[in-house]
Amino acid sequence: MAQSRLEKIGTIFTRVQGLLRGGAMKTEDKPIWYDIYAAFPPKAEPRFDRPAPEMPVRSIFYAEDVVRAKLHKQNKPNETISLFDNKRSTQSQQFLQIYDNLKSQGALDEQRIYETALDLLAEQRQQSRLDATPEDPAVAATELDVETKSQLMSEFIQAGGQQDRSSGSQYKERKKESPVGINIDSLFKD
Amino acid sequence: MLRKTLNNLPRFSQLCGLSRRLQSTQAEPAPAVTTTVSTEAEPEDIAVIEQRILKHPDYFQVHNLFTVRDLFNARVHYGHKEGSLDERMRPYLYGSRLGHLIFDLDKTAVHLRDALNFVAHIAFRDGIILFFNRNALNAHLVEQKAMEAGEFSHTRFWRGGIFTNANVQFDAVTRLPDLCIFLNTQNNVMSQHTAVRDSAKMAIPTVGIVDTNCNPNLITYPVPGNDDSPAAVELYCNLFKEAILRGKRKRRDLLGLPPLDESQPRRSRNTKTNSN
Repeated sequence: MAQSRLEKIGTIFTRVQGLLRGGAMKTEDKPIWYDIYAAFPPKAEPRFDRPAPEMPVRSIFYAEDVVRAKLHKQNKPNETISLFDNKRSTQSQQFLQIYDNLKSQGALDEQRIYETALDLLAEQRQQSRLDATPEDPAVAATELDVETKSQLMSEFIQAGGQQDRSSGSQYKERKKESPVGINIDSLFKD
Repeated sequence: MLRKTLNNLPRFSQLCGLSRRLQSTQAEPAPAVTTTVSTEAEPEDIAVIEQRILKHPDYFQVHNLFTVRDLFNARVHYGHKEGSLDERMRPYLYGSRLGHLIFDLDKTAVHLRDALNFVAHIAFRDGIILFFNRNALNAHLVEQKAMEAGEFSHTRFWRGGIFTNANVQFDAVTRLPDLCIFLNTQNNVMSQHTAVRDSAKMAIPTVGIVDTNCNPNLITYPVPGNDDSPAAVELYCNLFKEAILRGKRKRRDLLGLPPLDESQPRRSRNTKTNSN
């Protein structure tokens, strides 16, 4: 088949076009992409020597970057972020939200807003932790229940007929459990 | 058995290098071929249909295959760092965020739709499509998707001359692919895939995902985007596969052939080329 292998001259389309026009390639030998290319030419001609356009790469910055930079400079971020989790907002996102809220109220100056936002963020985080902790003792309690139950089962087998005592001891266990949970909370508070 | 041989005949004539692949069945003087023609609907028709289809701006409806949001979720917008930027990629960039280049997904979407449309048209005309990828992480995925689309893939080291010296290397007149799809256009971070140059030499159009460190010039339909993340590569593979299948389905529809069996990857074609 007639062909031009000079890939640095023109494009594949212009080379085949030249062959067709000159009669070196017969119309029935036309490659199947030729008509498609003619109907839908690419946005930029695929020439080897197409010059690189002179255009600057702009920097992407947002208005909130100023305060975000300040936050990250003064408080080293030490949280673990899951990149698969799109729902939870990170600490700096929460901070910026609070900051924007305060700023829109417009009562304070920049530094005061920053400090208040930090305080509010700390408060918010503590609150969310408090909300989260009550679940943990419950989980722990169920686990303990299973443990105690298995213990009690063995006791029951050994001693026999201690059904009442077992339920009583379970309650005791739970009572013991709940102060432990509170202790954990207070530890976190400190 | 007889039917199988009849079906193989057009392929055989293509392998013999008698071009104008679509009409190769009717052009043959071989007596057996006349029966093949009768099984296909009027062969003149397909050429008319092809011309009619080209007038439609988006015949295969590739615009509804994806949204910019899908691209974003697949992390297509992430480029490399500023230092490795190829100057020719500048028009496709949105900007640089603290040293990391970010693609403009609106431009990516436009280019990707052009590429998908082209791919669908090639598949409609029964062209052979070859997928390339030199990233070991995504190699299996690309091979899998190419097989599902009933097409070919090459994800290993490229021996020079597979295109340019094919007739000698394979000891036979070889039909080259009609379209090359590059899921990444680099061999490694330093050098471009040789097949990009070879395709341009052999006048084979190319569709390629070009990252910020790649040269888009020789790629016929470049698609600016991230070519490293598995999520992004999976998205590209699925899109190209779907475009190919749309083209093939439409062809079978219009020719009145039985629909494609998509439940299992078509292997018949693969074994055929391996044998040559």
